Amino acid sequence: MVETKRKGRDEPKHNKMKKQKSSGSKTLSTKKKSKRNDARKGPRLPNSLRKEVERLNPSTQLNSEDEDINSDEGEFLTDDIYEYEEKIPQEESRKNRRFDPVENFEYELPEDFEDENVPSDDDEDEDDDLMDNGGNKLEDSHDEIEEDDDGRHVRMLEGITGMPSEAFEGNKKKNNVVISEAYPESEYNPTRDVLDGGGRISMEDLLGTLQKKPGFGKLRKIMDQMKKSEAIEAPLPTVIREKMERQAAYKISKKDMAKWEPLVKRNREAPTIYFDEDTDLGFSTVGAIASEFEPRTEFEKKMASLVYDDDVMEAHKKDGSRLLELNQVSMEDEKERHNRIAKMRSLLFRHEMKAKHIKKIKSKTYHRLLKKDRLKTAAALTEMDPEAAKEQAMKQEFKRAEERMTLKHKNTSKWATRILQRGLQVQDEGTRAAITEQLQQHALLTRKMNSMKDGSSSSSSSDDTSDEDDVDEDSSVLKEGRASKLLGKATEKTLKILEEEEDEVPDSGIFSLPFMERGLKKRKEAAEDEAKLALQEYEVSMKQLDDPSGAENSKIKASSGRRVFGAANIRAPESRDVIKTDNFYANSDSDDDLEAKENIFDMGKDGSCDMQKDVHVDSVLPHEFPQDSVFKSFDDIVRDPGPKTTYDVAIFASDKWRKMESRNKVDANSKKSPVAVEPEYNQDLQEPVKEVGENSDTESEGQMVDGIISLDPKPTYELPSQTELIRQAFAGDDVEEDFENDKQEILNEENPEPEKPVLLPGWGQWTRVQKKKGLPSWMLKEHENAKRKREEALKKRKDAHLKHVIISEKLDKKAEKLLTKTLPYPFTSKEVFEQSIRMPIGPEFNPATAVGALNRPAVVKKPGVIIKPIEFKEVNPHENKEGHKWSGQKQKTKKSKSDGSMPRKKMKKAEGKTKKVN
Amino acid sequence: MSVKATKEEKEKETEEEKLPEDLDLKVKKYLRGGAANFDDLKDKKLKGQLSHREFLYGASAKAAAKYEKWLMPSEGGYLEADGPVEKTWRIKQEDIRREVDISSSRNQHDVILPEFSPYTLDFTSNGQYMAAAGRKGHLAIVDVKNMIPRREIQVGETVRDVVFLQDQSFFAAAQKKYTYIYGQEGIEAHCLKDQGAVLKLQFLKNHFLLASINKFGQLHYEDVSMGAMIGNIRTGLGRTDVMQVNPYNAVVALGHSGGTVTMWKPTSSAPLVKMLCHHGPVSALAFHPNGRLMATAGKERKIKLWDLRKFEVLQTLPGHAKTLDFSQKGLLACGTGSFVQVLSDFSGTQNYSRYMNHSMVKGYKISNLLFRPYEDVLGIGHSMGWSSILIPGSGEPNFDSWVANPFETRKQRGEKEVHLLLDKLPPETIMLDPTKIGTVKTARKKEKSTKKEIEAEMEATVEAVKEGINMKKKTKGRSKPSKKLKKRQEIIAKAKRPFLEQQMHDGQLTIKKQKISEEVALPKSLQRFARKKAAT
Repeated sequence: MVETKRKGRDEPKHNKMKKQKSSGSKTLSTKKKSKRNDARKGPRLPNSLRKEVERLNPSTQLNSEDEDINSDEGEFLTDDIYEYEEKIPQEESRKNRRFDPVENFEYELPEDFEDENVPSDDDEDEDDDLMDNGGNKLEDSHDEIEEDDDGRHVRMLEGITGMPSEAFEGNKKKNNVVISEAYPESEYNPTRDVLDGGGRISMEDLLGTLQKKPGFGKLRKIMDQMKKSEAIEAPLPTVIREKMERQAAYKISKKDMAKWEPLVKRNREAPTIYFDEDTDLGFSTVGAIASEFEPRTEFEKKMASLVYDDDVMEAHKKDGSRLLELNQVSMEDEKERHNRIAKMRSLLFRHEMKAKHIKKIKSKTYHRLLKKDRLKTAAALTEMDPEAAKEQAMKQEFKRAEERMTLKHKNTSKWATRILQRGLQVQDEGTRAAITEQLQQHALLTRKMNSMKDGSSSSSSSDDTSDEDDVDEDSSVLKEGRASKLLGKATEKTLKILEEEEDEVPDSGIFSLPFMERGLKKRKEAAEDEAKLALQEYEVSMKQLDDPSGAENSKIKASSGRRVFGAANIRAPESRDVIKTDNFYANSDSDDDLEAKENIFDMGKDGSCDMQKDVHVDSVLPHEFPQDSVFKSFDDIVRDPGPKTTYDVAIFASDKWRKMESRNKVDANSKKSPVAVEPEYNQDLQEPVKEVGENSDTESEGQMVDGIISLDPKPTYELPSQTELIRQAFAGDDVEEDFENDKQEILNEENPEPEKPVLLPGWGQWTRVQKKKGLPSWMLKEHENAKRKREEALKKRKDAHLKHVIISEKLDKKAEKLLTKTLPYPFTSKEVFEQSIRMPIGPEFNPATAVGALNRPAVVKKPGVIIKPIEFKEVNPHENKEGHKWSGQKQKTKKSKSDGSMPRKKMKKAEGKTKKVN
Repeated sequence: MSVKATKEEKEKETEEEKLPEDLDLKVKKYLRGGAANFDDLKDKKLKGQLSHREFLYGASAKAAAKYEKWLMPSEGGYLEADGPVEKTWRIKQEDIRREVDISSSRNQHDVILPEFSPYTLDFTSNGQYMAAAGRKGHLAIVDVKNMIPRREIQVGETVRDVVFLQDQSFFAAAQKKYTYIYGQEGIEAHCLKDQGAVLKLQFLKNHFLLASINKFGQLHYEDVSMGAMIGNIRTGLGRTDVMQVNPYNAVVALGHSGGTVTMWKPTSSAPLVKMLCHHGPVSALAFHPNGRLMATAGKERKIKLWDLRKFEVLQTLPGHAKTLDFSQKGLLACGTGSFVQVLSDFSGTQNYSRYMNHSMVKGYKISNLLFRPYEDVLGIGHSMGWSSILIPGSGEPNFDSWVANPFETRKQRGEKEVHLLLDKLPPETIMLDPTKIGTVKTARKKEKSTKKEIEAEMEATVEAVKEGINMKKKTKGRSKPSKKLKKRQEIIAKAKRPFLEQQMHDGQLTIKKQKISEEVALPKSLQRFARKKAAT
């Protein structure tokens, strides 16, 4: 029974309540309380039930000064098991006074009435209860009675002192009532001692339930500690508290994050990361894409319906016979179609023929007329047809707007700005012209069109001018006249230039210097010559034009005409050139060459005898001319010997040749001077040439006749030639000393020797003493320092210890770009960097199995693969996945010990790796 | 996201336990020097990356060493004496002929063409073709593999040297006045006029440069792919026809009459190295294919072997050589008179000793010796034509078709040409140590900073001085603004002075230098006429 748990101390409350109800004594203050009572939460329970509940949840407060309040409060406090609120019945809330306001339904006791018989009531009740409980708990009841007495005593004390009842409770003893419990302990059914200990749930109570759980000991320890520090500190300020909370939270989250560490570390250390290599990107063939096609638009649907027509599909599935049936066309239709196509074809053909014909017309006049016609029709159209005119105007307007917008021709281009930046005056004629042209075009384009006519007229006028030019050029009828005109013009111009040249002779500045004058004169002369030549040529061609003779004749004339200007030295190189080109492009069949060839042959045939000779000489001459140039260059070289060092031997030797060769040259020249000689001259000329070759090559050659060498079959021992002998004789002349001097010179050049300290004569030498002292000490010291510095620099050279070697320390600026200026970023040591680039990684230097791994990028990813965020995976942080950490270094040390076992192990792993790679 | 797991690794490991010892050596070769010590590295990330790189390099070297077995299957043979009595140099060509197969024996032949001799020879880099140039104007291209003369032309003038360009499709001939480039069919393609009368030609294959030395001791570099003159250097050391390219770094070496050997690159006018090798004139010069060894022959009857890393003599041999050549395997052939001697160092100690001898018919004068690449054949150009003899162990037995393919087809040749052009190296890359490319520039000791730098420095100091000025408050009119300004200017001028002085000094120096050089420029013959300097 639940009631067994009830304590005697609670009895008075109930009784009092009952009494209250029965007595109905309520003051104003109590009314308020009752109101509060009304506002309690929870469902409206029938009275009897409520009583039961009240009994189950006894008040924890012992404060019973004002008893009815106390009871109320007790009820209120213990009610918190209900979670929801039920509205107060309208009658009770008296909201809108719909119900009759009844103040009190019960009988009220008069104000002065004092209830004195309470205890007796209680006793009776208690007795009843005791009777209910059965006789086995008599002792308990006795205690209770005693306790009740205590309570009364307390109340009395309270009344006297005016202090709260708690103050007097210290002496109260715990009652050691043993009550067997019918229900297990829970928060609904608290243990006796809970009820007992002032109605409060202590820590021990709570702990008691945890006794068998793990971690209980720890908890208890903490509890003990807490008990020791009795004084509870005041709560911290919010800022600090929040900070601490944050710190704690950080710790937790840090711990949480730490689990990612091995994963991230592994990824960071991995030389290559692969992203979802297993993802199947699906097919990307046209067929695959097409198969997934779904018709969406009207048209597509229509098409699909036709294509996927049941009939057609079926026909396709079966043989093609049904398809043919479906394809049936009527005879008439086919005929009509046939006719139509034939007609079109014939039309097309005719059009084609016409176009071909038109295209073949080469007449420029025709094309010009055609163009004119076209323009005219266009103009007419613009005049006649307002639509077309409008269109034209629109086009023009559009162009203008575009030009105004882009300013394409307004020197805004990169090229133009650059030109302008550098200054227009500096530029050459062509560039300036181009710039002005551009500007003009801009002006033309941006000019405002007042009317359509304006634009068209301007364009037509320009066309007209060009047309005129065309006329000039194309009138084949007036060809000769035109040519003569042209020639006349040309002669005029050249004459003018000749005159001008004579006019301008600068008489000041650099050009007035004697050698410049000479140079100018020479050049002028050359120019005049040329001009005269040109003039003569013009004349000749004029004449040629004048008399209408046959082509051959003219050719002859031309050749003979050439003879007029007679200067063999001019003609010779020309013809030589021609011959040369012939030889060069003998196999090429360009027309020009052939013509030139013909020309020469003509000359040979038609020309007179001496002409032929000339040609012969010319053909020989090429051997001679370059020879001269070679001599010249040789002379030049002899004139300015090699840098600084003089080499007796070489120069001496070369001097010799020079002399000999120059003698030869003179010979050759003397023989060359008579131009008109017999063909035998050819051989004469050949010989000295050969001699020269002999001399220079220092070895005998066979006799050459016309490019083929005549040979003497017997190999004979010959004495070495003069030059060879001289070279050998003077070669080993104290080479060692020469070399040393050389080296010293180079050293001095790179590290110049410090100057000896010198005093200006007369300075600091006033007295004998000064003279005796010599140079001031600081000068000497400086000199000494410089000397030492030089010595050190020399010692640092690579060839410092090699007497017979000079290694250039000069910097090669061009090769500089092949070196790095600074160490690349992660490297801090030069040695490590240089070692790291020692291995080539290309496919030429590595086996195919290793190339892939050597050149693999840091991230391998297929195009189209989405990179997903990292997922958590358990990774053993201690596992050394790479297995080769710092292996390079180890390998080295092991190798140096010539152990051989360790590196081999490494290698094994390496091998495995490569296998994997592939 | 996933980092590829290495599953097979473990399985492999067990397999790899038994590694042949000799592989280690090969691996070392392919590692090209090994990694640096990472201990000093502070940067962990870099350390990790580098170690990974090293690991990959190791794997690559390992694989390469393993594949060597397949890619380089054959080892070159050589003559071996049976006992202490038998000497390899006593073995005659006839003895060899008896032993070898027919195709090899075909490589022993003499072509007698006395009319145009003496001959100089050149082989294409794959050894398929030979160009022979008779002094008296005979140029011939011979398919030496099939012994078919491909093309013969008569140029009708002296031909001093012939050299193949990138392959057999072009060859250059140094003729009397100019150098000409001919096509495969013997059609003249170019005439290189500005090189003058060239004595010796060399082609730098990787750079597409045709190097030539002319009669006046001018060294020219002509880019044959573009036709541009890359370098025109006056050696100033007189006439010479001793020129050889170092195949390792494409540095051209010239031997001079003064006993010096100079090494050149196109981008610098001064020789990279000038070394005094002989007391007499240098008569011949050759480079080992690995570029570390140079052989020179002097007229004072000495042949010297040089270590080009230290520029020191390794070995001095007695004897005279008109021509020298190293084979691919490092045999050294010297020819003098009608006698050919081949030296070898099969022990690998670079201690060359007599290996084979060959004497031509008396009276034949050897002018040119050249080993044929990828064959055990030595071509001899002499005064009666050319010959070819067998020198066992001279040619590289394994070829890399990426480098040179002796069995090249026409299509391969075409592709090769394109590749060569694409991989053409700029002329700046020619340097003594090509491994230096890409490394950090060495900090030059700066004796002279540039004008700009000096100015910047001056400005900086002036600024610093300006900021540092704080005048004392003085009485009696000494703190007038005008005085203050004056003082200020004074301080600044004082700060500037050293820089200005320095500049002036430099200017004087340059003037002096010019004067000195002018004096030197006088030819020796005229120097005695020069006015004597006033004694100071």
